[in-house]
Amino acid sequence: MLDSAFLWKHSDALFSGLLVTLSILGIGGAIAIAGGTIVLVARLGMGSLMRRLAVGYVVFFRTTPEVILIFWAYYCIPFVFGQRLTGFWAGSITLGLIGAAYLSEILRGGIEAVPRGQRDAAMSLGLRTYATWRCIILPQALRLSVPPFVNYFTEFLKNTTLLAAIGVGDLALAAFTLGGQTYRHFEFLTAIAILFFLMILPVSIFARTLEKRQP
Amino acid sequence: MDLDFIASLDFSVAWRFMPSLLQGLWTNILLTLIGFLIGGLVLGTIFAMAGIAKSPFIRWPVWAFVEFWRSTPLLVQAIWVHFAVPVATGVPTTPFQSALIALIFNVSAYASEIIRAGVLGVGRGQFEAADALGLGTYAKWRKVVLPQAFRLMMPPLIGTTLSVFKATAILSILAINDLMRAASRISSHTFQPVEIYTTAALLAFAVGLFITWVGRLATRRLNRGFA
Repeated sequence: MLDSAFLWKHSDALFSGLLVTLSILGIGGAIAIAGGTIVLVARLGMGSLMRRLAVGYVVFFRTTPEVILIFWAYYCIPFVFGQRLTGFWAGSITLGLIGAAYLSEILRGGIEAVPRGQRDAAMSLGLRTYATWRCIILPQALRLSVPPFVNYFTEFLKNTTLLAAIGVGDLALAAFTLGGQTYRHFEFLTAIAILFFLMILPVSIFARTLEKRQP
Repeated sequence: MDLDFIASLDFSVAWRFMPSLLQGLWTNILLTLIGFLIGGLVLGTIFAMAGIAKSPFIRWPVWAFVEFWRSTPLLVQAIWVHFAVPVATGVPTTPFQSALIALIFNVSAYASEIIRAGVLGVGRGQFEAADALGLGTYAKWRKVVLPQAFRLMMPPLIGTTLSVFKATAILSILAINDLMRAASRISSHTFQPVEIYTTAALLAFAVGLFITWVGRLATRRLNRGFA
């Protein structure tokens, strides 16, 4: 059913699409990790105003559909901030900001899942705040956060395709374009669907084995 | 930030086109409802039951199907369905139908995992106790297993409803008249993208908050008399 020789002939275009997808993943991921940490610190370690702002940020970015945020960034940032921005950067930054909201919640879940007794034990041993976090809470919290983190990674990878809607030449747009040029949409779409499947399935199986291994 | 520009924003245009925006939003809500009810509850339960079946001939195909729909992006699925269904069945589908098919299968895959986890999360002892009391299959599921499984499923299922709603915005790529499509049509007509897209984002945010709120209410109700 799938003509592999035909697909192979266009593999260059698909490959450059894949590279764009992976760059979005890298840039968005970096923003998400940095932003998620900042949001988490604002939520847990600062005054009530910062906490409220952080909660508002998380709720807004987790509740609003990603596509609308991406379109907003692409069409409105040039006006509001007076700054020209390519679709690639507008989209990657938006996905990163959305990711920050999710990651901060994942990390917070990990921190709150560390039993209270651990904190009490650290205190009764006379550890200071820094040592308590560095040696007792964070190592356990990070370990608890790994499975949802890996799960979110697969969601993030799937969300990169949304940038095709604002004309970023990722894997999805490469397939749509090639399909339009050759009138063989079905083959290209099936090819990239399989590609995504092969990228995501191992990761999500990995996440599930991690989940099972935890007590 | 361009403060002069922000001061010059005129949201009356959003108000003028509010009927079209709301009509688009209604399409999203409709898709969410159909996707959640047919895909999530009906197909999700069927796939969940098939997923815990004893025969590997039922279990493995269902596993592969569910994993495929969970591991590929909805954007690709929607367009794939739009081109594959006519090829496979000879019946061309409208964009709305293609979008709905993709959405239903996508949601059913996510929901089946949640429902399966809910049923498996009910302790074995509960099944054994129901058997020991001599309850029939129907009474066992209706009175013992499902009420407990529902409480386990409820929070993640509401999370799914919110994801379904967010996912419906993706389907605008197939040229169905949803909120996103209405917003981009109006903004290219009026040349006021900031007002229109901001309004669209706030409308969608409000619906998302409403779904979260209903979910929290339902969860609290189900948990009444327990925890």
